[in-house]
Amino acid sequence: MTKFDIGQQFSRDPVGRFYSESSKINKNNLNSGEAFREEHLRPLLAELPEGEKITFILDNDVESYGSSFLVEGFAGIVKYGYMEADSLLSKIEFQYDDPEFEFFEKKIIQYISNAKFNSEAYASTKV
Amino acid sequence: MKKQTFEQRRNDVRRCLSERINIKSNIRNGKKRGGNRRWWRTNNSWLDKLACDKKIKIEHLKKRHIILYLPECMNFSTEYENTALHLRVIRRLSASHKLSNRAYKLKSVNFDNIKNISTSASLVLTAEVSKWEDVLNDNLVPNVETWDPRIVKQFLEVGFFDLFKNQPNLTDVSSASELSLVKYIKGQCGDANKSRILRESLEKIIGDNINKWKFLRGGLDEAITNVSHHAYPDEQFKNNDKNWYLSGSLNRNTNELKIVFYDQGLGIPGTLPKSKFREQVLDFLNILPIADRKLDSALIKAAVKVDRTSTDQPDRGKGLQDMLEFIKQRGEGYLSILSKKGLYKFSIKDGKTKDKSESFNQPVLGTLLIWSVSLNE
Repeated sequence: MTKFDIGQQFSRDPVGRFYSESSKINKNNLNSGEAFREEHLRPLLAELPEGEKITFILDNDVESYGSSFLVEGFAGIVKYGYMEADSLLSKIEFQYDDPEFEFFEKKIIQYISNAKFNSEAYASTKV
Repeated sequence: MKKQTFEQRRNDVRRCLSERINIKSNIRNGKKRGGNRRWWRTNNSWLDKLACDKKIKIEHLKKRHIILYLPECMNFSTEYENTALHLRVIRRLSASHKLSNRAYKLKSVNFDNIKNISTSASLVLTAEVSKWEDVLNDNLVPNVETWDPRIVKQFLEVGFFDLFKNQPNLTDVSSASELSLVKYIKGQCGDANKSRILRESLEKIIGDNINKWKFLRGGLDEAITNVSHHAYPDEQFKNNDKNWYLSGSLNRNTNELKIVFYDQGLGIPGTLPKSKFREQVLDFLNILPIADRKLDSALIKAAVKVDRTSTDQPDRGKGLQDMLEFIKQRGEGYLSILSKKGLYKFSIKDGKTKDKSESFNQPVLGTLLIWSVSLNE
């Protein structure tokens, strides 16, 4: 069983869409949806044994998720043609203690379901 | 050789002198400058007309320096036009420091008359003075001796005086005020983790957790992401100018909590993408009365309302919806989105959802978001 704690293994402030949303200090936004998808979600999906699921812990030290992060991070897998929506939804599940995080789980599922498969070619925005 | 007449000679001298002046003023440090020669003239006459019509109070000093007197009340809810006008004058005068010597320049802003200023107006004023301070390289000196003590306290709390290298003496600021403010937070694109600082500061004032904070945080994250994507195009803004400002307040009399976010960028109406979404927005505007068309408020409303899932960009345009979520989840309060000359206000009161649009004569220079909720159960 594969678990991924977003707050501990990625960032306690997951925010934004692309690497290119940089600040004065960081040239690349390493908290972005693009960073999450390319550096964590894609490798996890590639290594996932057949029939297993990845459990994402949503609420460990994470305050919230904006839709830009969720769309780019999760639905980007479908948009850039890495995987069909149904297939992706069958490989992920979510865990949280705070019941209000159900809102974000529903959003992720909605964004993945609405994404158009392979509708855009991926070009990294990483500097 | 034919002898020149007096008139011919005079015309030749005038033409040569005029060309020399043009060359001098248009080329500096090897860079050709253009467009500013007329702009300062327009700017000066705009200010003279405002002063003549008694819309603003200014005092002329030597070398075309100006003192701007702020009005008694600055509030985007009750005194929108006057508040926005004075902030616009500060922006235009501070920008004119880079222009011709003949342009009016802002020497000082006088706060003596202010008796009442809202949280959002104090944040925008702080942001504008910060921009002016950047132009002048930390040369401003606040003189608070003649200010209303309540205003001094309010600006002290919002962190206004932290802008200045030359700090005023503020040892005895103990005026009672119903408003408790959070020190403003200044960030740039990608600085989203600073929202945590706001939560911690607000919770210190309230003495409790903010119910449904995570939905406000999601909205703030999207506001910051929008600043990165749209508000400051590289071709129009320098990297140092791409700032956003965040603050909050609690009114102890009414128990009203306000959170204010401001960026000084192009504004929502100016940044709607040229895509199928824009076409859809224009279709949406067709169902509005003709008089409302092309108004900034209608464009903001359309940007909030139009669902992009049916366009070629189903993954875009959800940020404004995220901003409404805090109010929806709490089931009361309002979100005002002020951008350029438009306002879109989404509110929930007694279980009833309402939205309204309004248009103004004066623009907000950027985008201002105001969330307001009551802490009364």
